Amino acid sequence: MLTTPTLDYNLLAPILIVLGGALLGVLVEGFVGRAYRARIQIIIALLTTAIAFCWVISIHNLISQAAAVDSVSIDGGGLFMQGAVLALAFVALLFFTQDDHFAPQASALPGSEEEAAAVLAGVQMTEIYPLVLFAISGMLLFPVAHDLITLFVALEVLSIPLYIITGLARRRRLLSQEAALKYFLLGAYSSAFFLFGGALVYGFSGSLSLATIRAAAIVPGANHIFLLLGIILMSVGLLFKVGAVPFHSWTPDVYQGAPTAVTGFMAACTKVAAFGAMFRIFIVGFAAVQNDWRPVFVAISIVTMAGGAIAAISQRDVKRTLAYSSITHAGFLMAGIIALSKAGLTSMMFYLVAYGFATIGAFGIVTLVRDSTGEVNDLNRWAGLAKKSPGVATAFALFLLSFGGIPLTAGFIAKFSIFTAAYASGNIAIVVVGVLSSAIALFFYLRVILIMFFKEPTDDTVTVAVPSFLVTSGITICFVITLVLGVYPNLLFNLANTMTTLVP
Amino acid sequence: MRTSSHLVYLIALPLFSSALLLLLGRIADKWGHLVATLISASAFGVGVSEFIAMHSHTGANRAATQKLFEWISVGNLKVDASLLLDQLSICFVLLITGVGTLIHIYSIAYMDHDKDRRRFFAYLNFFIAAMLLLVLGDSYLNLYVGWEGVGLASYLLIGFWNHNPTYAVAAKKAFIANRIGDVGLSLAIMICFTQFGAVSFSGVKAGASHASPAALTAIGAMLLLAAAGKSAQFPLQSWLGDAMAGPTPVSALIHAATMVTAGVYLITRSNFIFDASSTARILVVTVGVITLLFGAIVGTAKDDIKKALAASTMSQIGYMILATGLGPVGYAFAIMHLLTHGFFKAGMFLGAGSVMHGMDDEINMRKYGGLAKLMPITAVTFGLGYLAILGVPPFAGFYSKDKIIETAFNQGGGKGIILGGAALIGAGITAFYMTRVVVLTFAGARRWKDGSHPHESSVLMWGPMVVLAIGSVASGFLLSAGGALVNWLQPVVNASNAVGGKELMNPLVVSVLALGIVALGAGYAIIKYRTVPEVAPENVSIFTEIARKDLYQDIFNDAVFVKPGTALTAGLVATDHHVIDGLVRLVGWVIGEVSDVLRKLQNGYVRTYALTMFVGVFIGALILWVVTA
Amino acid sequence: MNLLTLTIVLPLLGVLGLAAAPKENTHVIKLIALGSSVITLVSSLLMLTKYKFGVQGFQLVSSHSWFKLFNINYAVGIDGLALVLILLTTVLVPIVVVGGWNEAENGRWSVKTFYMLILVLETFMVGVFAATDVFLFYVIFEAMLVPVYFLIGGYGRGDRAAAALKFLLYSLFGGLLMLAAVIGLFVISIKQGPGSFDVTALSHLKISHNTQDWLFLGFFIAFAIKAPLFPFHTWLPGAAKSATPGTSILVLGVLDKVGTYGMIRFCLALFPEATKTFAPYIIVLSLISIIYGAFLAIGQKDLNSLIAFTSISHFGFIVLGIFAMTSQGLTGATLYMVNHGFSTAALFLVGGWMIERRKSTQVEDFGGLQRITPVMAWSFFIAGMSALALPGLSSFVSEFLVLIGTFTRYPLAAIIGTTGIVLAALYILILVQRTLHGPLQPGNEDTPDLNWREKIALAPVIVALVLLGFYPKPAIHVINPATSQIMAAVQVTDPTPMAGK
Repeated sequence: MLTTPTLDYNLLAPILIVLGGALLGVLVEGFVGRAYRARIQIIIALLTTAIAFCWVISIHNLISQAAAVDSVSIDGGGLFMQGAVLALAFVALLFFTQDDHFAPQASALPGSEEEAAAVLAGVQMTEIYPLVLFAISGMLLFPVAHDLITLFVALEVLSIPLYIITGLARRRRLLSQEAALKYFLLGAYSSAFFLFGGALVYGFSGSLSLATIRAAAIVPGANHIFLLLGIILMSVGLLFKVGAVPFHSWTPDVYQGAPTAVTGFMAACTKVAAFGAMFRIFIVGFAAVQNDWRPVFVAISIVTMAGGAIAAISQRDVKRTLAYSSITHAGFLMAGIIALSKAGLTSMMFYLVAYGFATIGAFGIVTLVRDSTGEVNDLNRWAGLAKKSPGVATAFALFLLSFGGIPLTAGFIAKFSIFTAAYASGNIAIVVVGVLSSAIALFFYLRVILIMFFKEPTDDTVTVAVPSFLVTSGITICFVITLVLGVYPNLLFNLANTMTTLVP
Repeated sequence: MRTSSHLVYLIALPLFSSALLLLLGRIADKWGHLVATLISASAFGVGVSEFIAMHSHTGANRAATQKLFEWISVGNLKVDASLLLDQLSICFVLLITGVGTLIHIYSIAYMDHDKDRRRFFAYLNFFIAAMLLLVLGDSYLNLYVGWEGVGLASYLLIGFWNHNPTYAVAAKKAFIANRIGDVGLSLAIMICFTQFGAVSFSGVKAGASHASPAALTAIGAMLLLAAAGKSAQFPLQSWLGDAMAGPTPVSALIHAATMVTAGVYLITRSNFIFDASSTARILVVTVGVITLLFGAIVGTAKDDIKKALAASTMSQIGYMILATGLGPVGYAFAIMHLLTHGFFKAGMFLGAGSVMHGMDDEINMRKYGGLAKLMPITAVTFGLGYLAILGVPPFAGFYSKDKIIETAFNQGGGKGIILGGAALIGAGITAFYMTRVVVLTFAGARRWKDGSHPHESSVLMWGPMVVLAIGSVASGFLLSAGGALVNWLQPVVNASNAVGGKELMNPLVVSVLALGIVALGAGYAIIKYRTVPEVAPENVSIFTEIARKDLYQDIFNDAVFVKPGTALTAGLVATDHHVIDGLVRLVGWVIGEVSDVLRKLQNGYVRTYALTMFVGVFIGALILWVVTA
Repeated sequence: MNLLTLTIVLPLLGVLGLAAAPKENTHVIKLIALGSSVITLVSSLLMLTKYKFGVQGFQLVSSHSWFKLFNINYAVGIDGLALVLILLTTVLVPIVVVGGWNEAENGRWSVKTFYMLILVLETFMVGVFAATDVFLFYVIFEAMLVPVYFLIGGYGRGDRAAAALKFLLYSLFGGLLMLAAVIGLFVISIKQGPGSFDVTALSHLKISHNTQDWLFLGFFIAFAIKAPLFPFHTWLPGAAKSATPGTSILVLGVLDKVGTYGMIRFCLALFPEATKTFAPYIIVLSLISIIYGAFLAIGQKDLNSLIAFTSISHFGFIVLGIFAMTSQGLTGATLYMVNHGFSTAALFLVGGWMIERRKSTQVEDFGGLQRITPVMAWSFFIAGMSALALPGLSSFVSEFLVLIGTFTRYPLAAIIGTTGIVLAALYILILVQRTLHGPLQPGNEDTPDLNWREKIALAPVIVALVLLGFYPKPAIHVINPATSQIMAAVQVTDPTPMAGK
């Protein structure tokens, strides 16, 4: 006897809205004339994310396990992550609006006549917007997925559009396309691990639902070998997305190759989704065997923090530097999962938002720093930027200080709270390595500030493009949030603290 | 113990006028020196009135105190800024203000041509204030303030013409040597506090009887170190000769009559420590004897008249230190010699100044000769001082110095023989070099160039000289008549009896012996210096050579302290840059290298990335296996 | 508003005023800066009227919740220890403004920015001493580095950017270690009841000795870098070489005191057992600092780095006094912080003016100044005398208290420490001889003497040096209660005299 599945559309609305927006965008591509496309696409994208965000707020204190037949669990933790993704995505999208980011015609070979023609015709790749919306929908599903299949679907839905838009940079297209290919290959590779891991876990528990897996795990005397192996392999897929060492190798190349606005979007939103999902899986599904997998995570977190910080020292390219910085932060964020406590989740939530806005802001500024040929990512040519445009330099400095965890910035509160959670859960090693690698990381953040403020401008110093209204507001939002959360963290922290419920 | 409200004026007056002259600057050039002199005189007046007041009282009430304010009070360390005027300090008050005033007057004329005369007088007043604080402080800590104050004054006055590098160096040298002594004093204070929980004279005196011998010896040794620094005693003697760089009145006041005798005061003041520790006393007499011979020997080879007198000062203070080490009765004789010496040595320095004044600041005695005719007053006053220092009866030195020699012998046994003998020999050498000075300067044929016109100085200068000369004649008799000073000091130093210990040797015998040796030394000098070459002869006996080189004191210090110190400094500077900071840079460098390696791993090939991921998985599984198994 | 909070906020109002002022009119800007710093001084002096003397514990306290979840409060209050240091700060800032009237002129950025940074720094400096919430203290402790970083890097001379970076990295490294310790402390407080950052509450925690040792080190290294104590000192000479005189005064005169202040307030009060464990080693380090700093001062050719090294030697004395853990040692050390603030200020002010006139920082370029610029020479000489702790000047009292306090518990350490007395005489007198004495060096012929502005800036410092030298009672009277409270917290008492009377 087959019962028709019931769906709670109210709870699923955010995801559906974004999907709808994406489909609408596809239609626009099909039927609206080139002249208006771009403008309409922007409006659609911004509106969808905004509406979805408001919807999330409206349902933020609802809890349900049966939103979609046990495969999706709507709860505080999930909704917070969804809200975070949408808020960050909205701001990130503001930076997409600079029309010269994306290849006019991705299909055209780099340097070919077709491309030249497309440039002349002022063609724009407006498909970017629906693609982003598809990715967002995946990111919304990822942190609320409650069974392995849904997880995998969400993972792919969020990944595949990213692979594409990574290759759409207008300049240095070869680099961009290479990055896209790498991202795709390695992504597929990691997905395979994830899938295999899922299979092993299924083999252990005979179920795909996290709840059942937990139930199987806590049975005394059960042989956990398959479960643990499965956990490790699944983790590969997740850690790959957040760029934890040694699954990080793609990060610098992709961050560098992708259109800068896209990089900002990826860096911020993917992390939110992935960490959200990871926390749910591990506390709901795998908490019973935490003492077995925690050492592995501690080890990974340590090498990630230290490795990212050390590797960043020798970088000269601002985007690569930020890439390694994001790797380091992935290491810090893992402390929240290792703590596997309410405090851990709360501080991780705060951290993700704080880090997200700083990252988007930072990459947003990178999009503005240019010379005649386009963006300039060579740090040495940023010398004396503060003299030319103090405002931009100051904003960038603030984001860097926040990355570095200097007090009175959001980054400090984030780092402090997550370390506290780790320490409270008895993982003092994480805290020690954490502060030490922060010290190393500070070196390159400060070096960038030094280059901008204390180096004399040279004649090939870059200029700062006059930002559009949307871009300016984007940077401003990030700036204000980074500062306000640093000075008065209660605003977000109390909210996060009330939204840590995760349905079992 | 009565309280007096006037003591503070002794210090406040000169301190104030000194500050005034310094702050007013050039405005005060016209009259500054007069104010300073007046103030110094009035301080002397206060001193005299206090002395009379003291006389009018008896017993314990002779001593007077004045509490000014609570200075430092932390835990059980309580130090008041308060003054103590007792039989001992009054002697110094009168000496300092008296001789001080005379030298102020003298300087008015002596510094007449110096455009910085006002500054000079400001310094002099400052010195008077500091020196009075030194002798009036009722605790070691108050004394310490004055102690370093006079050090500063001496530094400023030695370096008064500090645009001349050698003078500046001399000033620095004096300060450093004094500082080494000061370390001794501060350590003594610390030991006192740890032992007795007090740093006031009374407090320490009260506790002294309970303290362990070791502690007392330690305190004594540290006080002796302090005394050695201030009073140019061995091994810290080397600065005094160079200190003659200062204007002559300074040499007379600070480096002959008063400051350099502070060490004697310190030891006498701390009699309760030294009485309780024979070891400390041994140290004291040893230092005293070494220095009195050291100074005397150095004095024999100096051609610079001031340096000759300086060496003599050193040696004479050696006598005083020796005396303070001879037990209760010694203190009185030490102070007596200190006072008489104050008169005759100050007198002779002023005489030397007068000569230099007449000889266009020529200081080389070999360029003098036969000045007696041209500067009769100077010659006579100097001569009286000369007789006094030789200890010829009835001049001052006879009463004070012979007593010391006598008391030294009275120590008895080998100790007595050694100390007394040394003191005798010292007297002989003293006679030799002092005679040498007199002969070279006043007797014999003229050796100065026609350019210079030696002449007697103005009354402002010879006046004070005359007064001091009278002192060098009469002071000895007055102070010892009926054991006057000894009885006077009795309450402070509780000398067992007026005459001093059991007599092993008849005073007469001692005097005769002394006079004989003195006659020998003087006679030899007279014969030796019938003719004087204008430049010091080159080929001289090894002994003369050694004496000329100040017994290699500076060479020694240079080789043992200065050169190694400089090397050490250079070494540490290098260490700081290369090792300490180098380590920090090394850390940075290592991280940088590792970073480069990581960058190379990031080679851009998907296959490598995939491999690292796989290895990662493998290691993860490995850890898991280790944990679970 | 609470008077203490007012004192903390006032400089920020000045910053707003500056923000409004026109960039070009530097004169107005300087006057605004001076005005607000003077007003701050006044309000800090007003605190004295509210302050109950001779009473233990924090006064003028005020507390507002700041970060609820972690029970973090904006909690401020002062005891004797904090009071004297806050007064030192509020006195020095106007002096720096007047004394360094033109030092911002040829900076990388506008004069306006310079004084904004100075005033922001003043707020932080007052706040850091006033904070009674460890988290608040930490936040300010770290945040105050940023203005200094820009002050050195933006307005200094020579290789200023590198010097600023080195300063910042050293301090931040220490700060991060301290962060770990702060977190540990908080976690422990959660485990033992309602988590709290209140320094008094934390001092009542029961912490195992082993844990204490680690947490102690976390705090201590941060403070030792700040202080700076050998071997964590190598950032200082570079910073002093590059910074403007004003910045140097604030860095060495006040900022570095945060280190020694923190040692007393946190290391001693929170970790008594650990303190006792480490005291001997720290005393060794402090002795090395005293002697090492002195020798390096003797060996310096650059006037500024010479002064910097003398400070390293002096900080050695302060730390020595702190860890001798006697009332004389602690009070002496605290008093030393104040006096060192003034004497360093004097040295850097006059030294700065000499450098400004001669256009060189090399000692060898000076010489014979005594004759042509008597007032400047005298000022420099007096500053030097206070650096070598001449009796009658304030630094003597503190240095003597430190040494005698140390002697009662660690005689040998005190004896070694006294060598510092002689070495101090060496480095000062050599400096004096080379700069002021001797024949006039070429290049100094037409050096003008101090002008009125400079005299006015210097006068209060000299007055303070002399006054606190002859009559230190008021300061000591304020400090003593704090000292005895700390000693009670560490559970130590002064050794009693050996030979009782």
